[in-house]
Amino acid sequence: MMDYSPTILTGGDTRSDDQIMEAHGRAARRVSGSGLPGAEDSPLVIMELLQRLRVRDVMRARDIISVVRSDSLRFAQNLMKRNNISGVPVVENRRLFGIVSVNDIIRALEGGWIHDTCQQHMATNLVVLEEDMPLAFAIKYFENYTFGRFPVLNKERDLVGIVSQRDVMRAIMKELTDELARLEGRTPPPGAADTAAKGEGALPYYSMRQFAVVHNDLTNAGKAANEIKRMLKEAGVDKKTIRRVAVAAYELEINICIHSVGGAITFILDTEKATIVAKDSGPGIKDVEWACRDGTSTANDWIRSMGFGAGMGLANSKRVADTFDITSKIPTGTTVMCTFNLAETKPQ
Amino acid sequence: MNVEDIVKTLDGKLVAGGDNGRTVGAVVANDLMSDVLLNDADDILLLTSLASDQAIRTANIVGAMCVVVHNAKPLPQTMCQVADTLGIPLVSSPLSKYESCVRVHDFLAKE
Repeated sequence: MMDYSPTILTGGDTRSDDQIMEAHGRAARRVSGSGLPGAEDSPLVIMELLQRLRVRDVMRARDIISVVRSDSLRFAQNLMKRNNISGVPVVENRRLFGIVSVNDIIRALEGGWIHDTCQQHMATNLVVLEEDMPLAFAIKYFENYTFGRFPVLNKERDLVGIVSQRDVMRAIMKELTDELARLEGRTPPPGAADTAAKGEGALPYYSMRQFAVVHNDLTNAGKAANEIKRMLKEAGVDKKTIRRVAVAAYELEINICIHSVGGAITFILDTEKATIVAKDSGPGIKDVEWACRDGTSTANDWIRSMGFGAGMGLANSKRVADTFDITSKIPTGTTVMCTFNLAETKPQ
Repeated sequence: MNVEDIVKTLDGKLVAGGDNGRTVGAVVANDLMSDVLLNDADDILLLTSLASDQAIRTANIVGAMCVVVHNAKPLPQTMCQVADTLGIPLVSSPLSKYESCVRVHDFLAKE
């Protein structure tokens, strides 16, 4: 997994962290620990979602309400009141200088410096997000820092958006709704589920599992394929087909692990066929035809030392599958779909 | 050639997975797991130098009957755990992979 430490922009502010957090509008609350909040208990589809979505997918990039350093706190106060927001970034030429929060305004009203410039009282020790961070990190930040929103910077350190808890919630709800709609479209008609229980070894009418695959996590890579193999065995699928499906699942899982930023393996089993969809979130393949040839690989020595990177993954998957389909786009990612007919054995 | 024969022939030690009572159907000596996956044979004895969880997971995918790791390489605890979970005998041998190939060949030739 990529290492994203909290990014703190430090300016000339002499206040303590707690003061600055207070200045952001809420009492500071730090939560220790790492990883995804509650992810250990989350369904895989949600884990995959939190890894796949990036901060840039959920942030508000347009109409960012901001002030410049020379604006007065009174001006910032009116802006916040008009737009019903509790903080406003101080930005010039896309560069983020600080944040003025509602607490700064309250303090200014009490202290009698509401006509001072924003530059004099803004918070400059800021916690920011980067646009290509997985959404999981944004959620972790909200948990750790309790700010209502975070500025989002690009690689050039320009302010490119603002992300609030509401934005995160809205994006997750939308994605989950889409996922549910997709699942409902595949749900068997009422009564058909009875065909699933025709005794031990009978093929279930329909089953689906999704497995998150994390970049460079070779310790866990292969778990999905082994689980898929177990499911097929339980469903009474013949030995040769099980092996073909398991080989493709394993190769595709390893590919996501070592060549992409992360993704997921989705396995769908019905009475007629088994389907594997391996989808990653980038960086995509420049020449798909080349990548599907035997022995072509971009793997480094470390990956080779772990027994992979021989350039056989896609070619192997294609060889064992009844249908093989691959689409790839730089930088958004690659999707591979393999299907296996369960009624007949693939001719060798 | 069963697991007991493999242990004896290769001066090895059964470190995880237990004896599953299966016998060798084919022998694959390889460190590249994609190459192993290419093989269609059943009851494979996998001779490898790869001391990682992936060697066991690959063995499970192809239904291997036993995995031997060579040169007395230290075996990660997780590798042994995966072998126990999947019920794949994991043998540690002090021999080189080449020497193992020769000894296994000689044993099978006599069978």
